Amino acid sequence: MRRISILLAVAATSVTEAAADGTLLTDDTWRYAEGGALVVDAGLAVAMPAALPTGLATGVGIGMAHGRGVVVGARASWVTTTESSTVWTVTHSDLRLRLTGGLERTAGRGTVGLRLGVGGTVVHETRLRNQGMRAGLMGADLENAAIALLPAADLELVVGVHVSGHWLLELGGGPTLEVLAGGAHAGFGAQLGVGWRP
Amino acid sequence: MRRAPALALLLAIVPGCDDLQGFGGAAPALVTFDVVATGDPGADVVALRVAMIWGQQWLTEPICILPPDTAEAAAAISAGCRDPFGFVPARVAANADVILNEPTTISLFSLPAADVMVGDVTSRVAYGSFVLYDDRDASGTLELARPHRLGGREMGPPVEDQVDGADVIYGASFVSMTQADQRVAFREGGFSLAAAFYPRSGCGEPLPAFSIVAAGGFSVADAIAATARGELPAEDPASCSERTPAEAVVTIPVRPPAEVAEVGCEERRADSSIRYREPPVDAPDLTDRTAACAKVVDFGSGMAGGASQYIISGRATDRCKGLSHYVLRGCREDAACALPDWDITATPPAWWPCSP
Repeated sequence: MRRISILLAVAATSVTEAAADGTLLTDDTWRYAEGGALVVDAGLAVAMPAALPTGLATGVGIGMAHGRGVVVGARASWVTTTESSTVWTVTHSDLRLRLTGGLERTAGRGTVGLRLGVGGTVVHETRLRNQGMRAGLMGADLENAAIALLPAADLELVVGVHVSGHWLLELGGGPTLEVLAGGAHAGFGAQLGVGWRP
Repeated sequence: MRRAPALALLLAIVPGCDDLQGFGGAAPALVTFDVVATGDPGADVVALRVAMIWGQQWLTEPICILPPDTAEAAAAISAGCRDPFGFVPARVAANADVILNEPTTISLFSLPAADVMVGDVTSRVAYGSFVLYDDRDASGTLELARPHRLGGREMGPPVEDQVDGADVIYGASFVSMTQADQRVAFREGGFSLAAAFYPRSGCGEPLPAFSIVAAGGFSVADAIAATARGELPAEDPASCSERTPAEAVVTIPVRPPAEVAEVGCEERRADSSIRYREPPVDAPDLTDRTAACAKVVDFGSGMAGGASQYIISGRATDRCKGLSHYVLRGCREDAACALPDWDITATPPAWWPCSP
């Protein structure tokens, strides 16, 4: 909601300024500021579940980065999904924590970069035995939960476009890799959001 | 900022826990029952198993319970009609190996489907029987059998080609409502004491979800008298019990296969309706069968006009009892239909033994 409020405030400010001389849009409407080396972003995230073989997890993500050309930063996202087999209904919530580093290049309003993230994914799992409630099951026979921390790494292509003032449209995505039960589990993740570069 | 690389390194080297199971791991049973088979079925048993079978709501055809017209008809009815109070199977839900006189557990991993439950979604119940059998075909499950009925003229091939499974039934916890029983009940929501689905009038309600319920059974005479009064036949309350599966042990005594074979016989029709057939040109093979002429049942309405039918039982060696019905005039579903599908009363086949 806060993000939406900020966007609405930006839009309202632009429209108010434009309306002063009787026009809806002026050259100032989409004028942007280069900003400094720090960029903060937040948005909607989608990803393959870290420890489920199927499904598309959705949630939110937030991140920050510092630098020009060579960028370092940190990111976090939370995504969740619920999938079913004939026996189980499984809900996984993945908290993805990454330290990032990468390269970026500026081209006009936009920036294009390649970002490598290393860290861990905290997976919380709940399993509900299908038909268990109707059968009168209780306790662990009906539902159980587990939590695990999986070493993980991401490689993302990141595109940012200055929209107005210090605000950017940020889009990133790419393959992910988690270490699960001694093996590697490959997937993908993506995020679409808003960036702020003061 | 110095701490950040250390945290990254820590996250990278911490191994993933093995607690996550996803869709994997063993599925817990929805319910587990304790069963004991007692007795001795003999030395020629191949693989003794117990099956849990959900029961079907079934009504016998009228001719099987009405007074027979003749001694011959009575013999054919006796040979071709199953126990009208007997347990009729609908679906085998689970199987388990059995060692005689030792406790055995049998688990269910799915609930009974709606088609074996009687009632609406707010109040319904399913009943099941544990059946002791010799798995002679080593299939791991009890194959249900069906009665073999004869074909008619231009009405498809006879069902004689069906082969009865080799499995031999030696006992069941619920054979008939006229005998003492222990049965599985699965109840959802409320319970109607007026329900006539394998009724246990006078006993307590089945427990919610799974339970093992028992009753002492009622006599045929009591059932007829109660039905005439518009009531359900009453059980002796002292013989009733309702227990959770963990509290109950189901006992299955070994019995002669001829006494219990019907618990493995499913029925095509559950609503007491009859499939009538047009007599074929050639006489049916009556070897090892019992046949008789009988009046078409119309409950005294006169709609059948006194027409006769020729009823033929299955072979004595068949696993399941059943009657085939031939009429010279009629429809597949109704021998007294106004617009018959066939009418050969003027030209009956040469072998036809009954009056028109």
